[in-house]
Amino acid sequence: MMKELGRRALGPVSLLLLGLTFWLGYFVTPPDQVQGDLVRLLYIHPAMAWVALYVSFGTATVASAMYLWPRTRAESLDRIAHSAIEVSVFFIALTLITGSIWGRPTWGVWWAWDARLTSTAILGVFALGYLALRRANDDREIRARRSAVFCILTAINVPIIHFSVIWWKTLHQGASVFTSNRTLKVHGSMALTLLLSFLAFTLTFFWFLRTRYRIEVARDKQLHTKLVASIEQRRGEVPAS
Amino acid sequence: MASNNADELTPVVPPKIKSGARRRNLLVLGALAISVIALLAQGLLSSLNYFKTVDEALAQRTTIGTKEIRLEGLVKPHSITRTSTGASFFLTGSNGQVFVVSHGTPPQLFQANIPVVVVGHFVSAHSDNFDGSQIMVKHSSTYIAKHPKRVKAPNGSVR
Repeated sequence: MMKELGRRALGPVSLLLLGLTFWLGYFVTPPDQVQGDLVRLLYIHPAMAWVALYVSFGTATVASAMYLWPRTRAESLDRIAHSAIEVSVFFIALTLITGSIWGRPTWGVWWAWDARLTSTAILGVFALGYLALRRANDDREIRARRSAVFCILTAINVPIIHFSVIWWKTLHQGASVFTSNRTLKVHGSMALTLLLSFLAFTLTFFWFLRTRYRIEVARDKQLHTKLVASIEQRRGEVPAS
Repeated sequence: MASNNADELTPVVPPKIKSGARRRNLLVLGALAISVIALLAQGLLSSLNYFKTVDEALAQRTTIGTKEIRLEGLVKPHSITRTSTGASFFLTGSNGQVFVVSHGTPPQLFQANIPVVVVGHFVSAHSDNFDGSQIMVKHSSTYIAKHPKRVKAPNGSVR
């Protein structure tokens, strides 16, 4: 009962928190000392990147690893990984778009070929590659196994993206939240709104994931029903001896 | 072939995937692989380090010559002069400074004491003058309220 209530509340709560984030971000929080009102993109861009890189790729990688492990192998894990990568593609695209919108007035350019931006774009291509790979084979087991291996291999890019601003000189600024000395570089109500945005977008991810997973289950059920109907039809076509 | 027995449902060998579909899948995967290689070549391999700092550039000035580079440093306070074609200013590092004459409109955040990356080249292999074609502002990851003590009254007015 409580579990079902929690599942049903996921969407409305996500929307409520997103609304609260936007309200605080656009009307309540102050302008930044250097960036002025451009700082308001802080309340959507980092949270989108957090979901695109860590939450969705993390979910897909854990599900893929569990699928490959014989003791935990289950079709549902393959579905979770697939759904998480699909949602990730959406959030990677949003991350690149909002980053570009932020970059034009602050840096002065829409795009820079620095290590952070390029490695994020590569992750987006990898995610599309994962989806393309799934369409390349109709055998469920082979498809799931290959996809799981591919997902784990591409996830290596995630720590590269994270540390790119430390390992190399980039135009993209360093971390504001996940800093090496664990100090938050954002002040006051701006920090609270930023943290709220992380929570809101994380819940939104799980809402999208659940919805996408349910669509996948429904599609599998429909395929099974069609298969059973085809078999019945074939039985009917065979002349009785 | 169908048997006479209605319950006979011997599994049949599934038809092979049409060569057209297989080719299309391979083309998609090939295009994605090429995209990754192109991104790696364009971005990571050629510019793992996106810029040279003023100190690095000054130390390697003879080898850099008049080759185009991205130069990073802090805009020296009180050194900015707006020109008809752009701006000129001193870019400082820890141990030296470079005089930059940049063409084109600087970004809106361009100001004194802010780190910037200037695309351009040294005027000569021994010169401290840098001819810039583009300025990019490299802002910090610290965010502080513009007016920390300013509060909003219940009627919406700012005090």
